This record gives sequence, structure tokens and C-alpha cells, in this order.
Amino acid sequence: MNTDRRRINAPSGGTSAPIFARTVKEAGYLQSLRPTRTRSPNEPRKIFLQTAIIPSASGSAYLEIPSTLPSPPSKTLIAPTSSLKITASIQGPKPLPRSAPFSPSLLLTTTVKFAPFASRTRRGYIRDSVERDLGVHLETALRGVIIGERWPKSGVEVIVTVLEGDEDAWWGDGCITVASAAIADAGIDCVDMVSGGVAAIVRNPSVKSRESVDALVTVLDPCPAEHQHIVAACAVGYLAERDEITEIWMKGDVGASPDALIEGARHAAVGSLTVLKEVLLEAVKGKIRGQVSQEEEKIAQQDIEMTG
Amino acid sequence: MATALPPPPALSFPRPIFAALSPHPFLQAHLLSSTKSPLRANGRQPSDFRSLGVNPGSLTHCHGSAVVRSGNTSVVCGVRAEILREEDVAGTGSYGTKSTSEQDNDDNMDDEADDDEDDAEEIADLRLLVPNLELSTGSTPLNLPGTAPSAAAQTLITRLHALLLATRLVRAADLRIAHTPRVNAEDPDTTPLRTVKGYWVLYIDVFFISLDGNAFDAAWLAMLAALGGTRLPRAFWDEELEMVLCDDDVALARGLRLRGLPVPSTFAVFEGRAEDEDVGDGARNWVLSDPDAFEEAVCRETVTVVVDRGGVVRKIEKSGGGVVGREGMRDCVERSIGRWGVWEEVLRKA
Repeated sequence: MNTDRRRINAPSGGTSAPIFARTVKEAGYLQSLRPTRTRSPNEPRKIFLQTAIIPSASGSAYLEIPSTLPSPPSKTLIAPTSSLKITASIQGPKPLPRSAPFSPSLLLTTTVKFAPFASRTRRGYIRDSVERDLGVHLETALRGVIIGERWPKSGVEVIVTVLEGDEDAWWGDGCITVASAAIADAGIDCVDMVSGGVAAIVRNPSVKSRESVDALVTVLDPCPAEHQHIVAACAVGYLAERDEITEIWMKGDVGASPDALIEGARHAAVGSLTVLKEVLLEAVKGKIRGQVSQEEEKIAQQDIEMTG
Repeated sequence: MATALPPPPALSFPRPIFAALSPHPFLQAHLLSSTKSPLRANGRQPSDFRSLGVNPGSLTHCHGSAVVRSGNTSVVCGVRAEILREEDVAGTGSYGTKSTSEQDNDDNMDDEADDDEDDAEEIADLRLLVPNLELSTGSTPLNLPGTAPSAAAQTLITRLHALLLATRLVRAADLRIAHTPRVNAEDPDTTPLRTVKGYWVLYIDVFFISLDGNAFDAAWLAMLAALGGTRLPRAFWDEELEMVLCDDDVALARGLRLRGLPVPSTFAVFEGRAEDEDVGDGARNWVLSDPDAFEEAVCRETVTVVVDRGGVVRKIEKSGGGVVGREGMRDCVERSIGRWGVWEEVLRKA
């Protein structure tokens, strides 16, 4: 086991996650804990979004999709679902270091990092392939939106931290939405607001025959815990006003017509955009109100004399 | 001259620009502006700490977690327990035999009974506590991702780890997974001995969401709150499968019995500069409680005092200068004792 001398290391013998007795001894126990989708197929989950959470960053946002846990506390320690909690922070735009080669437009760097406690299995501190992959997808989604020519010789860092993630979800629609909110909060010029959306084709558990037409259902904003068999999924970064897609990625067996799935993802993106717009509008109103009250305060408060 | 010059622009800048251009005079002017009660640039008095907020148990995949806010600094801490099997323990395994004898009275021990048990070595050598910290989450412009942990981050986590071990906060007895076989294999007539089959290893991960100074206190408070709320599942040795299994029943899970409540308070010493020689020795020093990022940047000397229940001083760290002497330290300890009460109340209510 390699050791990282810059961090505190685990015991060299290695540790294992606790194994629960009932999952070993009772077949299907885990399945019985799995929640079922109670929303209709085209109803996305509720989103909580907030901007300006990090004062030292030029822009920041926090997104949460609360989990749909039953209200009485459950009797088991195995959490059936988890909520999604993501923060995004924008550092910059700021001038590139002197050593960097000339760049006529804004250099965008995106980093997606999962906290070690974000998922069911513990993650390390060094970025793994999933995180790098998400980072690249996020970069493509954002690159088409930012008007980079207005910041020559500058760079901006978009840092997305996943504090708690959906199970094994590989899509980053939440990352796109929260990064978009943070960019708007930072006041970086964009052609439009990008928002993320996901749609998936899932196998309907109530239909027994696999060949039946009804066996596969397209659902918007799937929660991975709620669906045992996700046949295919598609995530998009979508500009609603311009009706453009900046990023699309798809996995699984889509079948003959992927258009329906893309259309579904687009609808999901429009859903998250309404929340995004609402929150940003509220934030701008708050800022204006704050400015007004600050000016009033200034009159009342005497400035401090500087001498020397 | 006939052509009248335009009036010279007033030499005044908005506050943030002054703070960025000349931080030291900016803070000094603030502190000197009123002789009775000097105010810092952030509106606090030198001895004022920031208000605290603790929100425990907010993460699903952790055995214990907390979100902590102290002014503009906010931290998430998650405690995650994993199992270290006895056969994977590196070294000679001398703790196994030592703890066997101790385990006999393990079941009926009280909170106080094993307070003196010297388990610091066991926890340190087996590395049962693995704290780590991440600053590069965009929480501060100084730490950007993509690079190895900065020197500041490494120092911070080493200090936290040292404090965790020095205060003996977590008991090794809580982390042992022991097993008493039903029959003694060697001699069926004698009662079987309890043996340690494994240990819980606590991964304590601290993620900074936003950093505005005094990372040490905030990170420790988050760790303390998360450890206080940690509930480990009941673990047992399964003779059939020959492995450690856990019970997923919430009622059987138990918490950690932490030793005491060590509370650190950090102070930064702001060294004033004499403006004019003829004014006399105008250089004054201020000891600022709970410095924010701006104050940390202009102060060199820092003092951290760790106090525990009853005003017992557990640790003092001081670096960067010689302003705080015996009297100054007494003042720091007094402020820390006051701060302890605030922490205790916040953690009790959480």
C-alpha cells in the first residue's frame, strides 16, 4: 500500500468497510430497503439552491436535493438513499502567471472532487478517473456558455465539491446546474444560463415480460437508488433561451431512437433552470437591497481617520 | 495661470481597497480610532470571538458528522468507521495480549473506571484515528486544487492529529472489537478468554467549504461535534463465517465516550508600529481573539490555548514572536476559559 507523506495515513494493513450481518445472511434484505419511485415519470425532484455561500470566492453556490426518506427514523443503519449536496466555488477571473503562454480568451479550469464521505464506499483524496471524467464533461458544458474573449490572458477556476452524492450516479447534471449558478453569482459574462438535466430509460418492475413495449419507461431526473435496472441514461447541459445543447453524454443501451431520451433530459434541464432563475433573481434583489441599506449606514457611521 | 486646474481628486478610497493596499495601517487605524474600546476592522473588539453554529448529523454515509460555522468559516466533518482485522495489525500484536486482561472488566466498567487506562500508545501505534483535511475546495483563493496539500494544510492536519492523540479524546476500549469464544479450545473446563478480533478505525475527514481565518479552531470544533455524534454499529465475531460482522439495528449501536471536552482558542498578536518618533513609543500591541483571514495575514505571532472542563489547560502552542509574555498568556488563558463555556453550550444544544 502506498503512503502519502503529506497526509495522515490509514493503518498499513488496510481496513474494510463494515459488513452487516443481515445483508450476508438474508438474501434480498438490501433489496427490501430500496425505496420505490413515487413521483410520476416526468416529475423531477425538488431542488434547493443558494448562491454566495463563500465570501472569499468571486462566486459560489450550493445545491441540495433532499433525500426522500420516510419521516420516522428508520430502524436500520443502512441508509437506503442519500441526498445530493454539492458546492461550487469560482476563483477568478484573474491574470495568468507570467510564465503562462498568451491566451486570447479566458482559460477555464474545472475540478470536480468527491469528499471521502460522499458515497457508500470511502473515496481517497487523490482524484480518480470518475472525478476527472466529470470534470471534463463539466468543462465542455461551461465552455460554450462563457464569453471568453472578454478576459484575455486570464484564468478562472471552477471547483465543484460533492459533499454527498447519489449512489453510483455517473451523471453530473447537479454539477452543471450548481456551477452555472456560481458563474452567474461571480458575474462572468455568459451567452445564456446553462442548466443540467438527466433522463433515463428504466425497466418497469411491474411488467413481467421483457419483450413487452411497456417494459421500458423513460423517467426524468432518476434517483439511482429507486431504480434497480437503469438501461440507459443521458445527461445534457442545455441553454433554454437559445435552444442549444453544450454538452451531451449518454451511456447504456439506448435502442433505435435516442431522440426521446435526449428530449427527456432537455425537459429535466428546463425544470432545474426555473429554480436557477428564481434563485438568481432573488439574489440580485437581495444585493440591491443590501446596497441601499449600506449607503444609509454609511451616512450614519463615521469613517475611520487614516493618519500617516 | 489662466487655465484653472481641475480640483485634485479627493484622496479617498473605499474600505476594501484601503484594506488591500495597506493592510497593516488599516487595521492599526481601526484599533487606534477609539481609546476606550478599540474595534477591529471586522467590527469586533479585540477579545471578541465569532459566534458559532453547529449542525450535527447531516451526512447520510457517515457514522457521525457535523457542519460547523464560525463567522464566515464553515467546515464539514464526517467520521467514517472501518474495520481493521486483527491479523492485519502491523507489528508484534503486544496490544492484543495486554488488552485481553483489561477486557475482562470491560463489560461492567463505568465512564470513570478506565479513565486512567493508558491507551494513547495503542491508538497512536495502530493508527486507529485517521484525520485528514482538505482546504483546496475553493474555500480560499490561496489553496487551489490540482496541487498537493499546501504547507499550511499539512501543518494544520499535523497539529490536529497531535491534539487528538495528546488529549486522549477517544478511548481505545470503544474501538476494540472483542470476542469471547463459547468454549475454550485448549482446555474445555476453564472459562474462555476474550480476544481482540479487530479494531474500528475512524476516518475523520474535514472539508472546508469556506475559510475566513482560524481554520484550526473550526476544524477541531467540527471534529469534536462529529465524534460526539458518532454511533458505531454493534460489531461481533461470527464464528461460522470467521469474520467481523455488524448489526444494522440502530438501537444496538453505541456512541463514543469522549474524554473531556478540550477546546482550543486561537489568538493573533497584532504589533502596532510607531508612527512618529517624537510622539514617543507609540507602538502598541493587541491580542486579537479568533482572527479572520485578513487579520491572520498581518499578524505574525499566534497563540493557541487548549482548555478543558474546569479551566484545565491542556496545551499551549505559541509561535512567531515574543510579545505575549507571562501576563499576556494569563489573559489568553482567561479568554479561553470564557470561550470554553460558549463551546460547551453550543455542543450541548446541538
